[in-house]
Amino acid sequence: MRKLLLLLWLALPVCAFSQGFQVNLEGEKQIGMGHTGTGLATDGASVFFNPGAVAMLPENYVQAGISPLVFQSVFNPSGTDIQYHTANKIAPPFTFYGVWGPKASWWKFGLGIYTPYGGLTDWGNNWQGKYVLESLDLKAIYFQPTISIKLADFVSIGGGFVYNRGSVDLTQAIPLSNSAGQDGQAELKGTGHGYGWNAGIYFKTEANFTVGITHRSGVSTTINNGNAIFSVPASLQSAFPQPNTFSSTIPLPAVNSVGIGFYPTSKWTLALDVNITSWSSYKTLEFDYKTTTPDLQNSISPRDYQDAFTFRAGAQYKSSPRTAWRFGGGFATTAVLDGYVTPEAPDANRMYFTGGFGYMLTKHFDLDASFEYEHLLSRTQTNIQYQLSGTYDTNVYIPGISLSYHW
Amino acid sequence: MKFLKRHIYIIAGLFLFAACKPEVKTAPLTHGSANFSRFIAVGNSLTAGYADGGLYLDGQLNSYPSIMANQMQSVGGGAFNQPLFTAAQANGSGYLQLTGFNADGTPITTPVTTDLAIRGILPVPGFGNVTLYTKYTGDIENYGVPGIKLLNITYAPYGDLNGYFERLLPNDAPNNTTDYLDFITAKPFTFFSDWLGNNDALLYATSGGAGDVLTDETTFAQLYALSISRLTANGAKGVVATIPDVTSIPYFNTVTVNAILAGVQKLNPAVQGLYINALVSGTTYAPRLATAQDLIVLTFPTSMIGQPVTTPYGQLPYGLTPYTPIDNQYVLDANEVALTQQHVLSFNSTITSIAAANGLAVFDAYTFLDNIKQNGLVIDGLNLNSNYISGGLFSLDGVHLTPRGYAIVANEFIKAINGKYGSNIPLANVASYRGVKFP
Repeated sequence: MRKLLLLLWLALPVCAFSQGFQVNLEGEKQIGMGHTGTGLATDGASVFFNPGAVAMLPENYVQAGISPLVFQSVFNPSGTDIQYHTANKIAPPFTFYGVWGPKASWWKFGLGIYTPYGGLTDWGNNWQGKYVLESLDLKAIYFQPTISIKLADFVSIGGGFVYNRGSVDLTQAIPLSNSAGQDGQAELKGTGHGYGWNAGIYFKTEANFTVGITHRSGVSTTINNGNAIFSVPASLQSAFPQPNTFSSTIPLPAVNSVGIGFYPTSKWTLALDVNITSWSSYKTLEFDYKTTTPDLQNSISPRDYQDAFTFRAGAQYKSSPRTAWRFGGGFATTAVLDGYVTPEAPDANRMYFTGGFGYMLTKHFDLDASFEYEHLLSRTQTNIQYQLSGTYDTNVYIPGISLSYHW
Repeated sequence: MKFLKRHIYIIAGLFLFAACKPEVKTAPLTHGSANFSRFIAVGNSLTAGYADGGLYLDGQLNSYPSIMANQMQSVGGGAFNQPLFTAAQANGSGYLQLTGFNADGTPITTPVTTDLAIRGILPVPGFGNVTLYTKYTGDIENYGVPGIKLLNITYAPYGDLNGYFERLLPNDAPNNTTDYLDFITAKPFTFFSDWLGNNDALLYATSGGAGDVLTDETTFAQLYALSISRLTANGAKGVVATIPDVTSIPYFNTVTVNAILAGVQKLNPAVQGLYINALVSGTTYAPRLATAQDLIVLTFPTSMIGQPVTTPYGQLPYGLTPYTPIDNQYVLDANEVALTQQHVLSFNSTITSIAAANGLAVFDAYTFLDNIKQNGLVIDGLNLNSNYISGGLFSLDGVHLTPRGYAIVANEFIKAINGKYGSNIPLANVASYRGVKFP
């Protein structure tokens, strides 16, 4: 007669992309200049920053870069003096761009492979929020073939097709103790894909400034047949059937950008960018298991994100024909409303500062290095769904290096 | 080689950043106007860390006073000694273990009978058998004694009647003459927690109103005033807690009249209802049909229902006729519930008014557990409620708490203390304490 229902036992695992997962690391030259580039035709990274500007590039490019990223978050639970830190793990966002077109032609073809979203957050299995999240490794790799056409000497357009290959690996403790008193474990692991497009237009004006406008579409990424691995005490395993799979769709948001470049002297380049990321498309997160039980139900959790704005500025100074010095910075508003902040990537308004250095090793060969420091403003939150209450503070350190060959 | 060198700088650089981790600025810790240098815990089984129907080492180590004392360390708290069972006798009195589930999903519990700390059974004339446990001779800060009522705290021979108290006392039963109140106040202390009084209502309730009596409300008020005056006599500050509603615990809410009836009707749809022997008034009991307001105890062996019972009217099925009602000891009927609740409310108004008069902090366990009963409790991604086993708060006996439940209680005590004395004892991490263990 002592019926046992385990219902509502699980705060269901969720994987959410948030602003925190928007990795703004798509080209070392651009990182150095505060990650501006929509209104510039700098190098092969224009495939990402503004496909419209690709046709205006004076040369052909092959380039690759990597920006090992250290994401350091701290969580201080309300009413305590405890500080939980994320483990030092290095996520490696990378870029590859190729741009080619006949010399002095009206068109150029480009290919970009880059990682616009990703995250590696590991709080460990002993912290206060372990039933919300232990670790999350999230990657989105975009493949983008692009064509760009010069309509006139002062205007060019371009567009690309985006194929995204996304992967997620999330672990969470389950509050079901075994006979040794240890928690159960959930792991959700899968890959998925999605499609999108982007387009841009680029103007050179008489007044010695350039303007770019781009749209990068949302990329709805669906994970099907991801592994849903639950290890719980043997007597409860039937409530968490194994093997099991899950599916979920994550709407990676659209981004609209406007950028301007100024060239006050031959040595100086100044740039401004404004981006609007349409996170408001992110209303709910749905999660479906192939096999459900009364204890393992499909879930819909509210996200209700808001659109986020980023303001960026950067400059480049050429101290010699071969040497460039770059610096910049920016400010980004959070997409996540109060009450919805989660430890996956504890989002908040953020500011960042960048610096960079470029050197032409040979006539055709560039070495560029960049460094970015990003600070997410301290945010004290009680998550509505989980009642995890405390203050988050996050620093991100991102060195980067790239090599470009151009001819 | 050059490339490697560059690489090394990057790696070295990353380690450098790793060193400058972000920190959240927190308020400096303070003990406020309280002094936690010797904190003592006064109370019954809940205070002792009793769980799963027994007192055993793991439960003791997770008692709410020990969790509180641990958190007090950072604001000047001193050593906190508990009368722990030894590792060799870690299972103490023995306790219930969850060993599996029946096909219908009902849990199977099995008593643990090895590594006990039982040293003998003492028959006490006119009282019954008292189980005696291995003596504890060290320092004590946790004075929780399972089974003790407020009614017992000034009764000198009580140490001969309660084996859990006897094991703390110097003399072997039946030679004890120190009452509980004298025992706990013998050594100076600076801060106390007091959660006495539960058993003055609970033991009546868990015995179905048949095996024990409710403590008289006036007597309770007198003894409570006395105990607080003794505890505060030397200027100690403290925190007290109210008594939870008996109906908020799974012991009375798991095996329900409707659930039993549904089970019976599956086999015999003609059955209309269950009969119980219910309180009419005073000490008069009469059989009647059970309703959802009548609470069946967790330990009721439901298999008894429908078994033939010999009566003057022939063989009749147990529990299904007015001549064969369910025994009183298994049922806290609606009138008994009301009587218990009336006493609990009276006890609680005594507790809160005496606490207020003495400037003590109050953890309102009645309201807190009632709220969990109504709404559940979500904390740090944990969905907790008052359900048996699945709720995560209550241990296998349906009355006492799991380590996780005790951690939550410890935090409520801490919040009450911080609110009253301007301290900021840090809260314990509830997620690091376990719920029920599953095989």
